[in-house]
Amino acid sequence: MRNRASNTLSKGKIRQSWSKYNLYNLQRFRSPPTANRTFFQQKWSAKAASRAYHGEQVREGQWKRMFNHRIRSVIPMNAADLAADDGTLVSSGRGSGLDKDGKSAHQTRPTPYSHMTFAPLERRLDVAIFRALFASSARQARQFVIHGAVTVNGQKMKHPSYLLNPGDLFQVDPDRVLYATGHTKTPFERREGRLARRKAKSQSSQDAEEAAAAPEVEAESKETVKQDIKGTPKEDTKETLKALLAQAKSVMSAGKDTLAPQRKQELRGFQQAVRRVLSRSESSTILADSLEAQFSQLTLLLKAKRGEKPAKKDVKPRPEDAFASDNGDTEAASAKRDTETAASDKLSEAFAQATLGNDVDASELTDEEFDTLQRALTQMRDNPLDNSKTYSTPWQPRQYMSAFAFIPRYLEVNQNICAAVYLRHPVARPGSAEVPTPFGESIATPAYGWYLRRRW
Amino acid sequence: MPPRIQSRSVSNTLLPYLTAPSSSSSSLSSLPSLSSTSSQCLSRQFSATAAPQGQTKLRRQMFEWLNNEGSVFKHHVPGETNYLTRLKQRGPESSEKSRPFPNNQNFFSEPILSEELRNEVYNRVVEQQKSVRIVSVELGIDMKRIAAVVRLVELEKRQRTQGKPLALPYARAIHEMVPTTPLAEKGERQTYHEPINDLPAHPLTGSQIFYPVPESRSFNRVEAGRVFSGAPAMEHSEAAEISHPSDLAEKILEDPNSIGWVGKGANARQILQPADVRIPHPHMVALERDRLAHPNERLAVADLQSKRLERQDAIEQARRERIQARREKKLTVVSPEDSRFDYRIKDTIYTKETTGADGRGSKAAGRRYGVPHRDRTRGEVKIPTRVEA
Repeated sequence: MRNRASNTLSKGKIRQSWSKYNLYNLQRFRSPPTANRTFFQQKWSAKAASRAYHGEQVREGQWKRMFNHRIRSVIPMNAADLAADDGTLVSSGRGSGLDKDGKSAHQTRPTPYSHMTFAPLERRLDVAIFRALFASSARQARQFVIHGAVTVNGQKMKHPSYLLNPGDLFQVDPDRVLYATGHTKTPFERREGRLARRKAKSQSSQDAEEAAAAPEVEAESKETVKQDIKGTPKEDTKETLKALLAQAKSVMSAGKDTLAPQRKQELRGFQQAVRRVLSRSESSTILADSLEAQFSQLTLLLKAKRGEKPAKKDVKPRPEDAFASDNGDTEAASAKRDTETAASDKLSEAFAQATLGNDVDASELTDEEFDTLQRALTQMRDNPLDNSKTYSTPWQPRQYMSAFAFIPRYLEVNQNICAAVYLRHPVARPGSAEVPTPFGESIATPAYGWYLRRRW
Repeated sequence: MPPRIQSRSVSNTLLPYLTAPSSSSSSLSSLPSLSSTSSQCLSRQFSATAAPQGQTKLRRQMFEWLNNEGSVFKHHVPGETNYLTRLKQRGPESSEKSRPFPNNQNFFSEPILSEELRNEVYNRVVEQQKSVRIVSVELGIDMKRIAAVVRLVELEKRQRTQGKPLALPYARAIHEMVPTTPLAEKGERQTYHEPINDLPAHPLTGSQIFYPVPESRSFNRVEAGRVFSGAPAMEHSEAAEISHPSDLAEKILEDPNSIGWVGKGANARQILQPADVRIPHPHMVALERDRLAHPNERLAVADLQSKRLERQDAIEQARRERIQARREKKLTVVSPEDSRFDYRIKDTIYTKETTGADGRGSKAAGRRYGVPHRDRTRGEVKIPTRVEA
């Protein structure tokens, strides 16, 4: 299917997309005028505008078959009201309840039925993926399905037009989701990735040769490495920890103005520092282990340090406000540079005070410092610098994404594993409709009217 | 659409020829210095107005908006929504639910479950072994959502143990952008996530019916349901038994066959039941009635409610087991040892209703001569319509 869903400025159509063109079009969209236009013309333009957004990838005939004039709605009931009245109050008098001071007893907001015209399309797999915020446009979601990155109830589903049933669980490959919702790579990053790939390729071919040639050499080299680690002059642990902390601080405080290469240097430096500390621990295998193991080992080391002098904790100024919001987040996965600017500014201030104000003995850590280090480490673990990925690393949300970020009630999404459950079909309720549509009543109702006509 | 000729590219390709008469040198080394003058020459040749600098008016306007008003949408502020409607608000007051679309007054960005609340749901259902119904009432979360959350958290745990990749930074970013329902601190009241007693509007209630009732007679929800479904009015003795429509809820739970039918044959349908029966949590109405009846005996009412819930759970459990047993009785499963397949064998009933008059009905089992296979017939959906979990 040819993709005609371009975000042209001249037409100004609204699409299911997160692009900035679409944001601009959404912002300047005005409902088409109704004065001096026939009812047919009004319905036509309303239909055209709403179909450009709702399922433009679906053929008109296909959609007409899906359309249903009956619209699902619910009324939230209050148990106390139901208990107080068995319905006789509402039907008393002349059949519509006895008036209280001229007002009728029950007043409800109108249910926006016509906003639900395109509810059947929300059942489609590609649309549901877009609504769950797993893809940046419905077209991209469709591509993910076709390329085999989507499973429904654990089975691969290749049909974007698959209609989800209530209770269906769909899951998208997390790498695709990170690619769809993340920043694109800069040319510099692309080049780095290319170089890394080339290097890995040549290394793997070399390894294959070596493995065939000499298995004895490996054992020898391992020994030498061990000797190297033992042979390094034992620096003061305090010094290294101090350096490590400084690194962590700079990693955490980097704002969005920091240039990318500089930031990457910082990250690399931090990684190296971590490695240096770890190499001094008893077990030499920890370096080769996973990041998880490294992290636990480091935390273990640091905890021991912190435990030594618990009395001195309160000497340094502790900015409460800076950590009130952050303490809850330490466990939550990662820290991103954009979003943490405000918090990390305070953090760096606190550090400046802590490190400059007093002559610090780095072997004893305050809670804040410990937190910072832990956060820097979790960030390194969960959101690492990896140029082999298809998106810019460390991951950060793409621009203009937040203006489109909402999750409708009929989906339950788990973002960690990029899976979602289609709970039920979307419904209208008094005052609100669950189908996300950018159009107001003046478009929704004529469009509904257009499809009420049976012309086939 | 005007021709899309980029003035710069034209000037570069045509440069040697265009500039040859005006300047004596057309060597490659002098190209950069000449390019600016030559493009001016070009634009002067065709029109008096200045050539657009590679941008249409619309594009220029768009970037102007994006760089000024629209620049707030580029990055989000953690914990706040960042929708287009914020441009029009111009005030700190945002007590209303946030709307993502400026033109649509009826669509709101509803909060999602926070990570802690999600784990709490899993904890209560799986570790504390509470029933979904009770957890739903405690936390104000729809029962379907609770089931989905348990499923998703289970899946997440499995993926973590398997070491599969997770999208942790993405998850965190989303929870910063979208409103969330937090888990209440200890001692605080949990804010309800969503309305849990939604009554689906039944199609029968769509019609307006003129039904005269004497003013002296009380007309309640049970009777209204009968009128909507076209059933005759109840006998007086029968009506007198029902003191409140919520009495029916328990009765129907114990005996689902007590719901009457209207119509004959294919048109037969059950009589529409009152809202007290059709809401997801009918026991809440019973609780409220107990509270009204005994306003000063909170403990006794709570005790009554817990007993009621236990009883209802037991009934539902028994019914589920009965249905399962009946299904298993009908089905014979044969699983050969060296086979990849299980064979489920059901007894086929050969009647006119199941296989058609000539035994070749479209719903009949097995292959039938002259009847095309289901997936070949016209108008049939060819892609899967469901995936078994």
